[in-house]
Amino acid sequence: MHPEIARIQSMLGGEGYIADREIATAIYLSMSLRKPLLIEGAAGVGKTEVAKVMARALGTALIRLQCYEGLDATTALYEWNYQKQLLHIRLTEASDRSVEQREQEIFSEAFLLRRPLLEAITRESPPVLLVDEVDRADSEFEAFLLEVLSDFQVTIPEIGTIRARTTPYVVLTSNRTRELGDALRRRCLYLWIDYPSFEKELQIVLNKVPGINADLAGQVAAFLQLVRQAKLEKTPGIAETIDWGAALMALHRDHLDRETIEETLGVLFKSQEDARLVRTQWLDLWVRGLERLRAEARPWTQALVERVAAEGALRR
Amino acid sequence: MTVARSGSLSANVVAFTRLLRQRGLPAGPREASDALRALATVDLLDRREVYLTLRTVLVERREHFQEFDETFRAFWGATEEEARPEVAPSDGTAPEGPAEAERLLREWLQAESAEQGEGEETRETPGYSPAEVLTRKDFSALSSEELEEMTALVVHLARRVATRMSRRMRAVRRAHLLDVRRTVRRSLRRGGEIMELLRRRRRIQKTQVVLLCDVSGSMDLYSRFLVQFIYALQHAVSRVETFVFSTSLTRVTPALSDAELSRALDRVARTVPNWSGGTKIGYSLRQFLDQYGRRLLGERTVVIIISDGWDTGDVEVLEAAMRQLNRQSARVIWLNPLLGGAGYEPLCQGMRAALPHVDVFAPAHNLERLRRLERHLALPR
Repeated sequence: MHPEIARIQSMLGGEGYIADREIATAIYLSMSLRKPLLIEGAAGVGKTEVAKVMARALGTALIRLQCYEGLDATTALYEWNYQKQLLHIRLTEASDRSVEQREQEIFSEAFLLRRPLLEAITRESPPVLLVDEVDRADSEFEAFLLEVLSDFQVTIPEIGTIRARTTPYVVLTSNRTRELGDALRRRCLYLWIDYPSFEKELQIVLNKVPGINADLAGQVAAFLQLVRQAKLEKTPGIAETIDWGAALMALHRDHLDRETIEETLGVLFKSQEDARLVRTQWLDLWVRGLERLRAEARPWTQALVERVAAEGALRR
Repeated sequence: MTVARSGSLSANVVAFTRLLRQRGLPAGPREASDALRALATVDLLDRREVYLTLRTVLVERREHFQEFDETFRAFWGATEEEARPEVAPSDGTAPEGPAEAERLLREWLQAESAEQGEGEETRETPGYSPAEVLTRKDFSALSSEELEEMTALVVHLARRVATRMSRRMRAVRRAHLLDVRRTVRRSLRRGGEIMELLRRRRRIQKTQVVLLCDVSGSMDLYSRFLVQFIYALQHAVSRVETFVFSTSLTRVTPALSDAELSRALDRVARTVPNWSGGTKIGYSLRQFLDQYGRRLLGERTVVIIISDGWDTGDVEVLEAAMRQLNRQSARVIWLNPLLGGAGYEPLCQGMRAALPHVDVFAPAHNLERLRRLERHLALPR
């Protein structure tokens, strides 16, 4: 392994983010090739975290652009400070300056509000620019984003062209609610983050749930592996696992039994339909799977959990 | 690393990129050059690292991982831990070769040459009578000239449906946003007095249409027409995703996006593995939900299923899939060509299981019925 990739991996580990080689390699390549990194994966697998941790590990600022339907260039790039402009017009009313002059004054950099994209390219040292959930913005915005990401310069009609002082590290995330355009994809390096393996999730639980013992953490991680074999409307992600671990700790539970699981089901399953399906179809199977696992020697492994799931017909 | 091909690393990377391109990955010279730059910065003796590096640079969507993995193994050679046994088609029905599928499709679509004679007009269905106008004529009973005329009509209809949809949307979405930038600028002319509020239009939301079309044996008579309809609709409405299914599901949107119909049809034939096999509607819908549901379904999505409901698969699977489909979309329309036949009752098990989750259940056996579809396609709001 390249020492720099190993360093990134351990740096991420130091920030409490368990990164496997795929993630560390992708981050490394994105940094060394200076190409944007597009991260896809199901909701709740820690895509956004990558950018946050990257910024901390690099010791640089994180600038976040949260995308949503209807997001336009104005909101993402720059806006004029209207209050200040109006005030300025009033204050200079009595002056004998011409309209043209006054117009020039209020459309100068002093009246400019930098939105994330402009902010990201005008920093002294390169920040990490996180374009979060880019699939939620519409395709027009995607085209605009592509332009900014290829030239790293923006044109403001009233001022002129602003070129990037430094090229930011760019991370884009997508939940795939909309298919992204090929042009944007081709601009980017690609990373797919899957749900974590048993081993990885166990590490995460141990790291992120303070005070949890290894035994309970193992059961929690194994249970989630069983859960993800089922077809549900919304499969619980890592955030749910951590929340669940914390809930179990708050209730002072040190092992998983049917009653405990039923009490805390709401932390894992957030749609009514899923909760119903789990209660009627899956819970018995999962509890049985967990019992079977307990008979096995520790430490458990991904392969073992998968075998138990297969034997118990837990897959659909 | 075991370099399977002779020559320099860069020659190999370029050859590998070409190979990926042949398999449908959009990797070109730029990607190859990126890959070389990337390889220069990693540990070339670490096979997994080389693999991950090439994948990160050369692949741009998860759907291509499998092709990439296969190509990688084939080109750079498989190490023991990576070599996985090839999965043979498990169900006894071996998939037809592309040539065979193409032949079937050609026959099925360009029946003109084969069915020129008037004597062929005997393929009537109960609803057909020669006295009826073209729009009332059952699709399964069309001659080749009529088919051509019908195609033109269908295209026209699809366009009209499309414009009507967007016009309605415009009329109800009058919510304008204040455009402060232009307002302030305008006010300057009046010494900073705001006399007029300028607004900007909110973008018009388009309806997403998802077409799921049954092309199994029991639908053969109608399929010829249905592809025309799908094709026309896709060209008239910008946001249509099209899938065909029989025992499994295939996305044909890209294949249908060719401007020329005949080329488009060739491409459909190449991408559809189970032309005119049995039908597993439930399984196919499940496949759609798992692979595309998150992306395509939502409160602005109209799902149109075109099928006769003859399901040879598991009825429970069909019911569950239909329930989910209904919940996750704005409207589910089921077009059933058999519904036009006199005395047809949706009695087959599959259709009965699906019906409670269908918003609009309509016949699709002639053009007049299709025209009535229009009002179901526009979403309120």
